[in-house]
Amino acid sequence: MQPVSEACEIISNTETSTDTWEMTVETKKIASECKPGQFVHVRTGSGFNPFLRRPLSIGPCNGNRLRLIFIVRGEGTRLLAEMQAGEFVDLVGPLGNPYQLPDNDEVAILVGGGIGVVPLLILSDYLSQEKENHFLLGVRSHDLLPVLPDEIELRGIEVASDDGSIGFKGLVTNLLESKLNDLRDRSVRIYGCGPEPMTRAIKEICMKRKVPAQVSLEVPMGCGVGACQSCAVLREDGVGYLLVCKDGPVFDINDVDLTPGGSS
Amino acid sequence: MNMSITMAEMSFRTPLLTGSGTFGYGDEFKSLVDYNTLGGIVTKSVSLEPRAGNKPPRICETSGGIINSIGLANPGVDSFIANKVSLLPIDETRVFLSVVGNSVEDFLAVVDKFETIADISGYELNVSCPNVKRGGLEIGGDQDAVAAIVKAVRAITKRFISVKLTPNQTSIAPMAQAAVDAGADALTLVNTLIGMAIDTEKQRPLLGNVTGGFSGPPLKPVALAKVWQAAQVVDVPIWASGGMVNGIDCIEFLLAGASGLQLGSVLFTDPFSPQRVLNEMEEYCSHHGVAEISELVGALKV
Repeated sequence: MQPVSEACEIISNTETSTDTWEMTVETKKIASECKPGQFVHVRTGSGFNPFLRRPLSIGPCNGNRLRLIFIVRGEGTRLLAEMQAGEFVDLVGPLGNPYQLPDNDEVAILVGGGIGVVPLLILSDYLSQEKENHFLLGVRSHDLLPVLPDEIELRGIEVASDDGSIGFKGLVTNLLESKLNDLRDRSVRIYGCGPEPMTRAIKEICMKRKVPAQVSLEVPMGCGVGACQSCAVLREDGVGYLLVCKDGPVFDINDVDLTPGGSS
Repeated sequence: MNMSITMAEMSFRTPLLTGSGTFGYGDEFKSLVDYNTLGGIVTKSVSLEPRAGNKPPRICETSGGIINSIGLANPGVDSFIANKVSLLPIDETRVFLSVVGNSVEDFLAVVDKFETIADISGYELNVSCPNVKRGGLEIGGDQDAVAAIVKAVRAITKRFISVKLTPNQTSIAPMAQAAVDAGADALTLVNTLIGMAIDTEKQRPLLGNVTGGFSGPPLKPVALAKVWQAAQVVDVPIWASGGMVNGIDCIEFLLAGASGLQLGSVLFTDPFSPQRVLNEMEEYCSHHGVAEISELVGALKV
């Protein structure tokens, strides 16, 4: 659908772990018409300081309700965290291109890093109805889970943590490698979203094993609709740039240059 | 109340326009903006050759505003004509094509090609670009260079020409005069101020290009002063551009002497701003017994 601007009533807004907030909002059309991997551009209040909207991945949707999950990192997200149930938040969306669902014989492996898990949650809702899928999540430690432990369990998410305080001690990409070993006779497709080092590591693994992957990227963004061209990432072929808002945020991992300092 | 306004013998449904670079080529915002609220749009600048744009990051926030360093990314005039012209909202509103170049020849080549596009209301010349003939000195700071470009373009088109001037100069009046003397039908005041921001944790600039163009509400007083100063010396219409976010900001620019009002960065924050701003201006007019919005142009009491 074409993006719309909606004032959405906040149903709940709670801190689920340190500085991680989960906001459920009632939309008119966005939740029912969006697809996994798309995002909304969220206004952080009614004023102009901070000036820009914040692009947030669309999380799981239920009817007209949509879940947003964000970490308080600066002034904009601090203002979002202060919003109360019953107030309205202004969303523009759905924006950007969704993940392409796996082909018939493919097994999906979802790889999230921290708050990057959000678009994979809604993707897993789409897949779990009919598709074999494996859901992996990397976090720094158990007290920094991006979603509540109940949801981790309910969705059967396999967790890796840097300090070993939950799940496997190590990187989520270590989990990915062993998963790929287990599934070596199957066709797989990887769906990723997380910090740059994780995305880069996924790309290396994919190149080595010739496995297809789509990743969702986050960069500073202006308009969100392709007009201002602020959110550029370098193309892998070196011929100019792609826009995260319009050409992404989901990209084929082979289309974007993820070298540090290259794209973002 | 009558919100329409006439500038250079063209009638505009409202004084509101979109600022170049903030509205793409008019198609990106089409499901979000009601064109009935706009007198016209100014497109993103088009150059002779394609430009990939600057190294990311290309945008950052600073207190109350933003700094961008897009680097005039655009597909170039030939690709624009082949792929973008059909998307322009020509049936919905007036369309002004923004032209950028590094030399007189660049501007002429682009405008010459644009002349073949039907139903365009005119051009806005973006002179905030390095001059290849003068060792990269910004054209917009050089009266002779600006005058030469305007004069050359004037000679090949009968269409409306506005010249967008940079605020990065101490005195706007002589530049405004030079552009009008060379044949400009209007002036757009102002382009962005040069700005910069630093990530102190990384001790690196927040923009890939180090510096960029500063816009948003903090630019408004600067733009207002430039509009006022230019309005004292020229009698062509002035399109104001600089940090407007609400109807009262727009009224200030009208009083200072502007007749066109370009909404720019505010479109990122509030794509509904044209409708909202128009309502706020109408509210002001009804409270102040203003029947025609044009009555306010230059009505400042000093």
